[in-house]
Amino acid sequence: MSSPYERGWVPPQQPASSTPAPGAPAPGPGVPVAAVAGVGPAAAAATPPLPLSPGEPGEPGIVVEHVGRAFGSVHAVVDASMVAPMGRVTGLIGPNGSGKTTLMLMLASLLAPDRGSIRIAGHDPVADPAAVRRLLGWMPDQLGSWATLSARTALTQTGRLYGLHKLQAAHRAAELIHLVDLGELADRPSRVLSRGQKQRLSLARALVHDPAVLLLDEPASGLDPAARVALRRTVRRLADEGRAVLVSSHVLAELDEMADTAVYLERGVTADAARIAATRVSERAWRIRTADLARDSDRLREALFRAGIPWERIEADAGGILVPVAGEARAAELLTRLVGEGIAISAFAPAVGELEHTFLDLSSGGGPA
Amino acid sequence: MIPFVTGVRVIAGLELRQRIRGVAWWVLLGVFGLLALVVTLIVLWGVGGLTDGYRSDPVGNAVFSTIVYFVLLLGTLVAPALSGNAINGDREAGTLATTQVTLVSTTQLVIGKFLASWISTLAFLVITAPLLILSLAIGGTTPGMVAVSLLVLAIELGVIAAIGTGLSGLVRRPLFSVAITYLVVAMLSLGTLISFGLGTLVAQEKYEYRGASYIYDDSTGNSECVVDDTTTTSTRARPDYVWWMLAANPYVVMADAVPTRYGSGDDPNDLFGFLKLTVRQLQKAPEPIEQQDPCNYTSDRYPSGREVIDSTVPSWFVGLAIHLGLAALALFGAVRATRAPAHRLAAGSRIA
Ligand SMILES: Nc1ncnc2c1ncn2[C@@H]1O[C@H](COP(=O)(O)OP(=O)(O)OP(=O)(O)O)[C@@H](O)[C@H]1O
Ligand SMILES: [Mg+2]
Repeated sequence: MSSPYERGWVPPQQPASSTPAPGAPAPGPGVPVAAVAGVGPAAAAATPPLPLSPGEPGEPGIVVEHVGRAFGSVHAVVDASMVAPMGRVTGLIGPNGSGKTTLMLMLASLLAPDRGSIRIAGHDPVADPAAVRRLLGWMPDQLGSWATLSARTALTQTGRLYGLHKLQAAHRAAELIHLVDLGELADRPSRVLSRGQKQRLSLARALVHDPAVLLLDEPASGLDPAARVALRRTVRRLADEGRAVLVSSHVLAELDEMADTAVYLERGVTADAARIAATRVSERAWRIRTADLARDSDRLREALFRAGIPWERIEADAGGILVPVAGEARAAELLTRLVGEGIAISAFAPAVGELEHTFLDLSSGGGPA
Repeated sequence: MIPFVTGVRVIAGLELRQRIRGVAWWVLLGVFGLLALVVTLIVLWGVGGLTDGYRSDPVGNAVFSTIVYFVLLLGTLVAPALSGNAINGDREAGTLATTQVTLVSTTQLVIGKFLASWISTLAFLVITAPLLILSLAIGGTTPGMVAVSLLVLAIELGVIAAIGTGLSGLVRRPLFSVAITYLVVAMLSLGTLISFGLGTLVAQEKYEYRGASYIYDDSTGNSECVVDDTTTTSTRARPDYVWWMLAANPYVVMADAVPTRYGSGDDPNDLFGFLKLTVRQLQKAPEPIEQQDPCNYTSDRYPSGREVIDSTVPSWFVGLAIHLGLAALALFGAVRATRAPAHRLAAGSRIA
């Protein structure tokens, strides 16, 4: 049910196509999003070009090179370099005050960088903000909504500000209300919306003009678990349709499931690839569980000890036995051994998510290089 | 970018819907309408009661001018509150940045917000329309008077709306920008008066004159006028040196611009005319001393209002130009200060 009216407002540089987008307007959360699982860049490339989502997968949607920005004496962003490809979800991770929001403001053409260069789908937000704004959707971390207007009016008017005609804007608003599941709340003043509902309205507003590049600043904060799942699916689908999505979040487990790659920002400096690679092979805790842990616990500990893990570093928590393992290769080797010894392993996985591990490892491993 | 007019219209529509057109605004409008009605009735009663019976001159222009001045007074008092937080209020609410990432330009944004607050101030004029029509029905107004005064009124309200909107873009905190807008209104309305008053104190002139005394001549039994030998020094005010300070006063601009309708005796008989005559009279230099012979003092008859007005220069266009210049400057400054991507931020302000 790719909406025919969408064709009318395709940005001129993008070829309009009447081919329905596979799974394009997802009717709210809880809908099976077939496109999510297994649809990598290859699968997306095989489908005909989507009406409103330009960009070949892999082509950079966002390129940031040595960008810096200071506010007086506060150096919010010191030296940030990153790439966010089209068709991928890129996580932006960093502690509080590390400059994530500032970086996003510069990407969103609201703040001019002091130095360095930014390209959004090839356009410079300082030299040509209009081109960037046409292509870019931004969901701020601070939720601002016109308090006395309903969600529907707010979305319609935002559509008008993106150059849609009245009718198109109204259609698009209805579609987005459906997408973010604001249904019966859509006609009440947005002042009465809860934080999570405002969050969804904010996401909908970022999508009004179906941007090719999306910046989501902490989109999951304030959302309930069901809404998070819905958000994750929506974000995945948006990326699978060929958009570049940059998501900042503190909920790293959340990002783990959503993001294809991640950029780490620490005190205004992005971590370089070498440091991230180093964390891949640094030690982290893996959790092992057997079918009946109470019975197998001693056997498992002995087997682990024989495999070379110091006795005192084998710990237990509610979910199983925790052991430090350095790198995936070592983990595979360990698992083979345990299975070889006939222990009935039911779970064998990192205790902390990939991103969290990297994040903690980078943060603890001293300041920026 | 989206077409200029579309962007301005959408922004103005948003502004009218969500900021201005609340319950409070309607209440204010209603209260204002009632006040205007009361004022009109009082003026009607006063003017009519005084002139009934012996004067056939219609008094519609007196009523009309009073209502227009009333709208100007109240409008300039309300406009700062309606416009003074247009931009920084949005910034505080977090809706400015989300508007700026759309295709609307900063110029469209500022102009749209300015138009919205102008329109909402003009509503105060619209609600007095029945009273204005009543005064037209009474008679005594002239088309020129009606057209010019309403035009000047609309422009003056627009000037305040523009200054308020502009300051809301230039000043970070809504409270301060509203307060500064009020200060500007006070400066134009009262500040010009005060500076004129102070000016007349400074621009005093020393002058010398000779007195005269009558000496009784016993032989003839007549008194004879004899000019004194000594001169007396005194000072007198010279408002004709500083009258121009009043030119930037919105009430003076209004009065000076409106074509005067003269009543009986070639004197004005409405507020526009009274004020215009008062200000024009200040331009007149006092009579030169030397030519006064204290023994042959011939008092001229006082010139009529029409003669005074016809023999002095109008100043309304100077005042209007100053107002329009201020308005344009404020709007221009706001566009500059809110432009995105922002290079410099006011200390302590976040974009989002
Ligand atoms: N307008 C501003 N003026 C002065 N300092 C600022 C301004 N904006 C941000 N900063 C400072 O810059 C640094 C980075 O802020 P930023 O909002 O980008 O952090 P963040 O990574 O988004 O943090 P969080 O995870 O808490 O959202 C902080 O130290 C902040 O105090
Ligand atoms: Mg932030």
